[in-house]
Order: sequence, then structure tokens, then C-alpha cells
Amino acid sequence: MPWILIIQNLRAHKMRTLLTVGSLAVAVFLLCFLKTVLVSLEAGVAASATNRLIVQSAVSLFVDLPHNYQPKIEAVSGVAQVCKLQWFGAYYKEPSNFFAQFGVDTDRLQDTYPEVKLLDGSWEAFRTSRTACLIGVGLSRKFGFKLGSRIPLIGTIFPRSDGTPWEFTVAGIYESKSANVDNSTLWFDFKYLDESLRSGAAEGPIGVGVFTLRVQPGIDPTRVASDIDALFDGGPLRVQTTTEAEFQRQFVTMLGGVPMLLNSIGGGVLFAIVLAVLNTMLLSFRQRFHEIGVMKALGFTDGVAFGVLLIESLVICGSGGFVGVAASALTADTFAAAMSQILPTFQITASTVASGFGLAMLIGLMAGLFPAWQALRLECIEALRAEV
Amino acid sequence: MRTPPLVYNFYSLLVRWPSTLLTTASIGSTVAVIAGVMALQQGFASLYELGGRDDILVFLRPGATSEGESAFPKDRARIVMMETPEILFDKAGWPMAAGELYLAVRRAKEDGGETNVPIRGVPQTSLTLSAPRLQIVEGRAFAAGRDEVMVGKSLVGRIQHCRLGDTIRINATGFKVVGIFSYDGPFQSEIWGDIDRLGQVLHRPTLSRVVARARPGADVAALAKRLESDKRVPVKVMTEKEYLESQTKAISWTLWLLGSFLAVVMGTGAVFTGTNSMLAMVAARTHEIGILVTLGFRPVAIFSSFVMESIFLGLAGGALGCLLVLPLHGMSTGTTNFQTFTEVAFAFQVRPIVLVTAVGLATVLGLLGGLFPAWRAASAKPVDVLRRV
Repeated sequence: MPWILIIQNLRAHKMRTLLTVGSLAVAVFLLCFLKTVLVSLEAGVAASATNRLIVQSAVSLFVDLPHNYQPKIEAVSGVAQVCKLQWFGAYYKEPSNFFAQFGVDTDRLQDTYPEVKLLDGSWEAFRTSRTACLIGVGLSRKFGFKLGSRIPLIGTIFPRSDGTPWEFTVAGIYESKSANVDNSTLWFDFKYLDESLRSGAAEGPIGVGVFTLRVQPGIDPTRVASDIDALFDGGPLRVQTTTEAEFQRQFVTMLGGVPMLLNSIGGGVLFAIVLAVLNTMLLSFRQRFHEIGVMKALGFTDGVAFGVLLIESLVICGSGGFVGVAASALTADTFAAAMSQILPTFQITASTVASGFGLAMLIGLMAGLFPAWQALRLECIEALRAEV
Repeated sequence: MRTPPLVYNFYSLLVRWPSTLLTTASIGSTVAVIAGVMALQQGFASLYELGGRDDILVFLRPGATSEGESAFPKDRARIVMMETPEILFDKAGWPMAAGELYLAVRRAKEDGGETNVPIRGVPQTSLTLSAPRLQIVEGRAFAAGRDEVMVGKSLVGRIQHCRLGDTIRINATGFKVVGIFSYDGPFQSEIWGDIDRLGQVLHRPTLSRVVARARPGADVAALAKRLESDKRVPVKVMTEKEYLESQTKAISWTLWLLGSFLAVVMGTGAVFTGTNSMLAMVAARTHEIGILVTLGFRPVAIFSSFVMESIFLGLAGGALGCLLVLPLHGMSTGTTNFQTFTEVAFAFQVRPIVLVTAVGLATVLGLLGGLFPAWRAASAKPVDVLRRV
């Protein structure tokens, strides 16, 4: 293959080559971004632990369960440990500064979620102080909270009766080793919330949002789940016990048409870019009409004429793909920080990178084939006769 | 200043139709994607715009940003209803106000999976307050004190057990679907039933909000200010219109952000493609440009001529984009409004503003793509270009 010819062609039309590489890079970047959003939406489901079950109300995500369900659930055979979780729904300064907060059993959190690792602070401090909290490393980066910082939170579901914000002191900063627990959560003592509600210092429903439980090793989680459901089937409040994956999936399902929307945007991007590259390659072929005739007259085979155009297309798309993938990998952290509220698990994966690059090469193949095939079929005499 | 006739540019585009077509399609699909996102945002926002009224007051607990979070003890709600002079009274002397219970309940979708559907426990006064906007299209309204519900039209066919005669099970009690109602706005995705029965079955002793008809000329801003700092019953008051608009902010903002992000990124790609095509057109017409210059056309005239040609390309792309996005109009979709964590059904709305934006954006893309090639054409020297054969 006359490589020098291919390189010279690309260099002869620097502007065109650069613009095509640029538009391809932009498209690949966008596709990687959309794919990352889709993958991240599912990340929580994919990373869920198989030995954890969630007990929630069968009626609604917003109906609390009574405290006294905890010992009953614990008594079911195969259950290792049960931890309370209550969604707090408060905000820091402005409603737009939203992040997840949960009231939990402080002495059980570590065993229930072994993927939560402390980077700073201690479990001991978290367990002993009533107003202590653990925060994710993402929150610490975003808001600058440090060990010992006091975080005022304005209650929405649970406002304090005197109208003041709740205040929590950071006793530890964690990092999660798995995507099912995000790094933007604040955990605090369930007892603090419960006592405030009972004493009238705060208002809101008294109860437990969900119970998270660990199943003993070697026990079938499905059997445990149906045993728990059966326990409360007669009411007054029926429960629905699911694996952590199913629990996470309900939030993905809630998005309704969003994944489909993102997919169709991706389709539109793909369509536009295939047309753009095809346009470039056709222009390239048209301008080289004469040249191909000369090549053939000099004795280069049809195969070489075919190869030159196809490889040109692949080189353009390969470099565009490379730039696009590199750009999305380099900006991933910025996007992750910007979207930490809506998509705390935003993270670009190796398979996204690979598919982005693969797609670019596929576009190169598709856009290069037609002009290359025309070059292959071109009659030497006809090409030489043509005016440029 | 004389410019070459526009028909010259027009024919050039026709003669080089493969390139014209591909560039048009490239700009068109870019614009279509952005217009699609915009139509989605418009559809979502219009749902909430339609439902809101200025003469209906909404009372929430202070601090609550939606009725999903808000909770009132019943006695406090009664004080608000009886002792707010801004509320209109009916002929019998009762305030036209209703305490409502709102809860997102877990329901199975017809096409699989679960979603959260709002269920609203209401007294009969709510039906009076929402007439004539609420209309029963099938069956009848639920009766007070009975285990009956009526469902919004948008739920039928989307959520299981939402057809006339079905039974919706909540905890251990079955509620019979006796009616289907239409109601422009988010309410059409809700289930309505008797407040006392639903309150008992759901174990919810509290109310979520109070709605009331305002006395004509009532000063809502002053009322809101007064009640916010009320010692006995502090509440947050706003008109229904304001309330519903506040509910769309998060999603509208997200979609707006997505649309702008796509416009910048995809637009860059489209400008690159346009520049490429126009460069090729200029290169292929070197000789012609030389003749134009020799004929006495000024470089500025040639520049604007080529920019016009590129704008034509953009306009054609814009038209194509509009054609591509039009079939979306009226297509229904659903998503969760994270303000209340409930799913609402709505339809894409390709409004005039969407089409105008699409064509405007396409024109800008065409213009930007044409600038550099036109400059290159205009800077050609007559001798140089005529010499080359």
C-alpha cells in the first residue's frame, strides 16, 4: 500500500482533514457522554450486593413502617442483621444544594454496608455522638466540609418546630468502593431524628422508611424475602421485600422515557456524523478523480485505489475517535462534579471508551466504502479524460 | 454595492446536489435533535401551565417545596380554612376550601415495571373547586365515605387496574374504579378518592395541603407574608399557578441544560461539516470566481454572495429539521417529576417557538460554516484564479 500517498493526501487538504477529524471528535465525545449517562443510571443496579434485601412498604415509597417491625424481621430465619434507613430530604442553604441524607442505626451501618470505607475520622465518634454524621468524599469536595465541620440542614419533610435548621457535626468522611452507594450521601443517627420527633422538637411522620438487611451466608435471599412479605400480609401495613438490585431499579424505571430519549439523541448524532464523513470522503474522491486515473495508468491495481480511499477514511475517523474519546475521558471528572446531584455515580467506563472508538472506526468504514468502491470501478481512460 | 444574483448561488447548490444534500441533512438532523429536546421541555412545561389558576390558593407547611413533603395536622388545617378572610365563602356560609391528602403510591405499569402514581384523598368540596376543569368522561365521581376512586384519563392504558370497574388494592383494602376524569394538567395522571377512607387505609392522619378559592381581589402576596410568620398556624401560601410553575423548574432546567449542551456540541460538528462543503464548493469554482472578479464584482460582494449561499444551506437544513421533528408533536411520553417523585404523562409540543428556534439555529450554523470559505473566495486574486485551468 502506498502509505506516503495517503499521508500526502491528508496533508494536501489540511483544513478539510482537520474539520472532519474535529466533527468526528465532537460526535464521539457526545456519544461517550450519553453512553456514560446511561451506564451510570444502571450502575447502582449493576453493583448491588446480592446478599442485601430491602424491606419497604408495599403501598408507597413514602409510607413509613413501624419501629416494631425490626425485631420481627430480625426473627426471620436466615436474617443476619437489620438496619433502619430513613430518607431525610433536607437541604443545605438552598433547595438546589440537594444531596441524599439518611437517618441510620449508627452501630449497624458498617456491617450492613461494608463497601463504605472511612478516609478520615472514626466509626467510634460517629456512634457515640448523637449529632454526628458521616459524609461522602464527594460532599466534602463540593462544599468544602471537613472533619468537625458543622452542617446546617433545613428540613422539608422533618422541619424543626422552632424553625431553625438541623445541625450535624462531621465525624467521618467515607469513600464507597461500589457504585450502589454514592459518594454524596450524609448519614446520621436515626435516634436523633426519632427522639426529636417524639419530644416535639421536630415535626413529621414517626417511622422507618426502609429496613436494609443482610442475609446469612449460604441462605437463599428469595426465600427470606417471601417469608418477610408473608409475615405482614394481613396488614395493617403490608411490606414488599426486594433485592437491592430491584430496589435500585425502581428509581431507573421512574425515569420513564429518559433512557429512550438519550438513545434517540445518540441516534441523531450518529446519523449526522455519518453524513458529514461521507460528504468529506465523496469530496475527496471527486477531487482525486484525475489522480486515480494517473495511478491506474501507472499500473497501480484497482485494489490499491480502493485501499487508498478506505484507509484515508479510517485514518480520519480513527484520529477523530481518539480525540473524542480522550476528550471525554479527560472531562469526565468535571462532568461528574457538575452532575453530582442528579447523577452521583457518573463515571466513564472502559467499555464506553472502547465502544466510542469502535464506533468511529465503523463510521470510517461505512463512509469510506462507497467512494472507495467507486474508485475501484473507475475506468482509467474515463478518469484521465475528465476535467478537474 | 452589486452582488452576483442570488439565482447564481441557488443553481450552484443544485448542480452540486450530493454535497448540498449531505450538508442539509447533517444540519437538519442536528437541528431536529435540539428541537426534539425543546419540544419535550415545552410539553412538560405546558402541562403545568395549563393546570394553574390565579384564583385558587394553595396552602403548604412552611419549608415544604411540594405537597409530597407537606403535612398538616387536621385541626391546624381547619383553623386556616375557617379563619382566613381571603377565602371565598359559599351561599351557605361555608369556606370554599378543602384539605387534601396526597401520596405517591407504588403501582405496576401495564408494560412492566413499577412507578409512583399520585393518589389524592379529597372531600367533596375539592370537586366543586376543580369544576369545570375536572370533567368525568366515563362513569361517575366517587361517593363520599365509600371505597371508590376515580382515575385520571392519562393513567388508563398505562397503569394496571386503572380501567372502569377494576379494583385498586391499597394495603388490605380494595377501591373500586367508578369513574375516569379529564383535567388539563398534571392532575390527569392522578387517582382521586374519598379523603377519610384513604386516610384510614393509608394510616395517614395528616393532610398534605389546603386548597381554597380566593375572594375576588384578594392580595395573595400580603396573605403569604402574613401567614408565613403567623404564631399559631404558620403556613406557606401561593396561587395554584405559582405552585404548579414551581414544580416544573427542576425538569425544565435539566432539559434546557441538555438542549444547550447539545446545541453547542452538535452545532460545532455541523459548522465543521458546513465549512467543509462550502470550501469544496469554493475550490471547485475557482475559475468562476475569477470571472466574477474580472467582471468587476468587489471582494465584499463575492464574500456576501458565498455567505448567502451558505445561509441557504442552513435554511434548507432548518426546514428539514422542522419536517423531522413535526411527527413528534402530540406523541405522549412519561417521566418522573422528582419534585414529588411521581410519574406524569405528557405529550411533545412542537410549538411555533420550537420551529422558529430550529430555523434560527440552522441559519446561524449555515452562516458560521460559510464565513471562512467565503473569505477565502473573496481574497482570490483575479490573475491567479484565471490562470489556473
